[in-house]
Amino acid sequence: MSEKKIIEERSLILNRRAFLGKTALGVGGVALASLLGANLFRKDKNGILTKDDSPNGVKGILNSLHHPAKIKRVIYLFQSGGPSQLELFDHKPLLNKRRGEDLPESIRNGQRLTGMTAGQDKFPLVGSQFKFNKYGKNGTEISELLPYTAKMVDDLCIIKSMYTEAINHDPAVTFFQTGSQQPGRPSIGSWLSYGLGSENENLPAFTVLLSRGTGRPNGQPLYTRLWGNGFLHSLHQGVQFRAAKDPVLYLNDPKGITKEVKREMLDNIAALNDKHYQDNGDPEIKSRIAQYEMAYRMQTSVPNVMDTAKEPDYIYEMYGPEAKIPGTYAANCLLARRLAEQDVRFIQLYHMGWDQHDNLPGAIAKQAKDVDQASAALVADLKQRGLLEDTLVIWGGEFGRTNYSQGLLTETNYGRDHHPRSFTMWMAGGGIKPGMVYGETDDFGYNIVKDPVHVHDFQATMLHLLGIDHEKLTYKYQGRRFRLTDVEGHIVKDILT
Amino acid sequence: MGLTFECARCHDHKYDPISQKEHFELYSFFNNIDELGLTPGGAGKIPKPYMTITEKEKNGVLSFVQIQKSKMEEIPVMVMNEMENIRPSFILNRGVYDQPTTQVYPNTPKSILPFPSEYPQNRLGLAKWLFHKDNPLTARVAVNRFWQRMFGNGLVASSFDFGNQGSLPTHPELLDFLAIKFREEGWDTRKILKYIALSATYQQSTEVTQELQEMDPENRLLARAPRLRLTAEVIRDQALKISGLLNREVGGPSVKPYQPAGIWEATTGGGGGSTATYVTSTGKDLYRKSLYTFWKRTVPPPSMMTFDAASRDLCTVKRQETNTPLQALVLLNDPQLIEASRLLAKTAMDTHMEKIDQISFIFKQATSRDPDEEELQMLGNYYSSMLEKVKNEDIGAEDYLSIGAYEIKGEYSKYKLAALALTAHSILNLDETISRG
Repeated sequence: MSEKKIIEERSLILNRRAFLGKTALGVGGVALASLLGANLFRKDKNGILTKDDSPNGVKGILNSLHHPAKIKRVIYLFQSGGPSQLELFDHKPLLNKRRGEDLPESIRNGQRLTGMTAGQDKFPLVGSQFKFNKYGKNGTEISELLPYTAKMVDDLCIIKSMYTEAINHDPAVTFFQTGSQQPGRPSIGSWLSYGLGSENENLPAFTVLLSRGTGRPNGQPLYTRLWGNGFLHSLHQGVQFRAAKDPVLYLNDPKGITKEVKREMLDNIAALNDKHYQDNGDPEIKSRIAQYEMAYRMQTSVPNVMDTAKEPDYIYEMYGPEAKIPGTYAANCLLARRLAEQDVRFIQLYHMGWDQHDNLPGAIAKQAKDVDQASAALVADLKQRGLLEDTLVIWGGEFGRTNYSQGLLTETNYGRDHHPRSFTMWMAGGGIKPGMVYGETDDFGYNIVKDPVHVHDFQATMLHLLGIDHEKLTYKYQGRRFRLTDVEGHIVKDILT
Repeated sequence: MGLTFECARCHDHKYDPISQKEHFELYSFFNNIDELGLTPGGAGKIPKPYMTITEKEKNGVLSFVQIQKSKMEEIPVMVMNEMENIRPSFILNRGVYDQPTTQVYPNTPKSILPFPSEYPQNRLGLAKWLFHKDNPLTARVAVNRFWQRMFGNGLVASSFDFGNQGSLPTHPELLDFLAIKFREEGWDTRKILKYIALSATYQQSTEVTQELQEMDPENRLLARAPRLRLTAEVIRDQALKISGLLNREVGGPSVKPYQPAGIWEATTGGGGGSTATYVTSTGKDLYRKSLYTFWKRTVPPPSMMTFDAASRDLCTVKRQETNTPLQALVLLNDPQLIEASRLLAKTAMDTHMEKIDQISFIFKQATSRDPDEEELQMLGNYYSSMLEKVKNEDIGAEDYLSIGAYEIKGEYSKYKLAALALTAHSILNLDETISRG
């Protein structure tokens, strides 16, 4: 191709704006941004930070939303390990009546099992040992394990007909978070950061908080790649906020260095970088200077948002006594509200320990106690601040649990294996019908009989609420346009206001 | 092969002449391995087939990988073994593993190069096919990746896709010339890289003029040298090298350099195991090349991931090259960089008397050029300001100098050492230091 031809082709492509997608992996985007006269701080279509025209935040790839959004942000309370829907939400008296009887093959219907129960010669049905009562305007049944959640039931939309394709933790969690069972794709929060950008230029758009449950302290691990950016720009990676001396990795200044000394160092670095920019002209250097300033601002904004000391007593009473202990689920729920107030786009909590293969009754009681009060308090707290109307709160795990006992069924004890075919989640907030129960399972609590919701449907619905058409937020990588919902996903319109 | 072959797993390729049948024909070359995979019997059991590295090999031809450091007397190494009776392969309906349809046999895509009938229908045959002189892809794809390595972008920008959806080569004749040269000179990677490095194109300046910027913002015509950010590993290795900390040992087991405390522990299930707790290496093992850093795939080293190291989840033909605030935090606060700054200061004081010469030395180590007068003045002023602050105890010199495990022996003024270390710390943070060109 001749030189002239290439330049012509280039300007054509520039006009078509297709250029940006083509160089998704290159540095050319920055050069282009400066060519087009853009300033610093705005993210261009490569996700590279350059200047925003609006006063706060960084823009995403979408110039405008696909349709008006109902919500601005999401708090995802991920219950890692697979909470038993049968002890918490999905009341099945038949299982108590037929306790000990073998699961009929007509119900199991060829469902593959995990290696943990595939070898069992019997699958004895077992009902919940915990009582259910009716709550709220519609008399929704909730387990006695969740007394606080029960009080909030008129604000929740409980989906009893979730199903997934994976039967083990890693692929199942990865499926929920990235839309694929195989690792390597971007997490939901990364997709949102990429698509919508950030509303707050001092905090990352995607933050992650972890806590360990008491129900099964030696449970399933997590993986940092669950909040990874996959093939997207690393600006979109989830940033973990920790209950540690360094709340964000590498955030604290080195020993012996004061804030003033750090400022002087940054000024020195910026001046030398700027000098080099004058000599060399590479706009990437300008971007580097801006990133150092953002890092500096994070050194103030992160500790500020993490410092809950000034929260009034009534707030601690709402979230429960553990909210004062950093690193607990309750403390993380309180932090989630504070991050929501700062307009952080996607706030992801993980609470580990829901994997009750054995000793389920004792373990789930503790595990439910870990999360019940604080989850309910978070919804109530957002509501009293007027934040619930543009926030979506999601509560749920990666799959459900079997209606039969794993291991020996005794008078007081049993366990449950992983069950992908039906489980329960709840959502609350903007655009979601409050006080609703959606979907239904059969009397055995095994199969869905009404309104099934696939993981991709759940993802499509969440994106819809944010003003995004899940089929249109894509990223081309190694020859294919990828999206969160892969090639599937239907919006669950029935649960939308 | 530089193709999006996996698209044809579920259906015929939508853009390239690759049928679903051809996908599974190629797959069948590899579906003939009698490997058991993970076997019952617990960790430490190596499933068959494997070969054994003996005492003699450990100390002989394989001594460079330092497996003598292992306690095992004989080391089993898993190998791929061709089965005698071919395992049948099938087209899978929409790529789903439990829906086999038509049986297929080892073959290669006709659109690339039909499989010569004289070649055996196994992996040996496939290897011969890949390196057949009429195979249009292998050499081009390979030299394009070398070009990408040297220039940031390949002559074909989509180094992962030479199909219809990929980019056209900017310099097709050059691509062909290099491909043929590579093939005819015995597929010698080192030789071709050296050839590219010695070219006038590679040796250009990175300076961007307004005119060049407007004519060719992406630098596809290579009228200037590209400016590239160093990779995650090289940023760390460079700091180790120029500070004199680098341990250049080759081979041996992985090591665990500095990593923020608690990040493995926070995500483990709590059931124990060898990767439940991160135990930082000691002594020389702290300073090995990043190639030897222990890699836990579920929780990879954060400083590496922040600088776009491949996650090892998917095959990565081309890494991202990003610029983020978390990178600034790593460069400013990672103890490895601060320790390297301290050592750089020490070396500068060992070799140079005057402050200006010490600063110039450090600057040149980091950027491969001498600072100009203005830069020297800026750095000199910074050093003086730091020295004053150290003396006034606005900076805790002892605290700052205690970061990192390496102990400096000998008599140094802690004031001067701290002031110079802070200057080096700034220099290691310059965009120019972590960029090539």
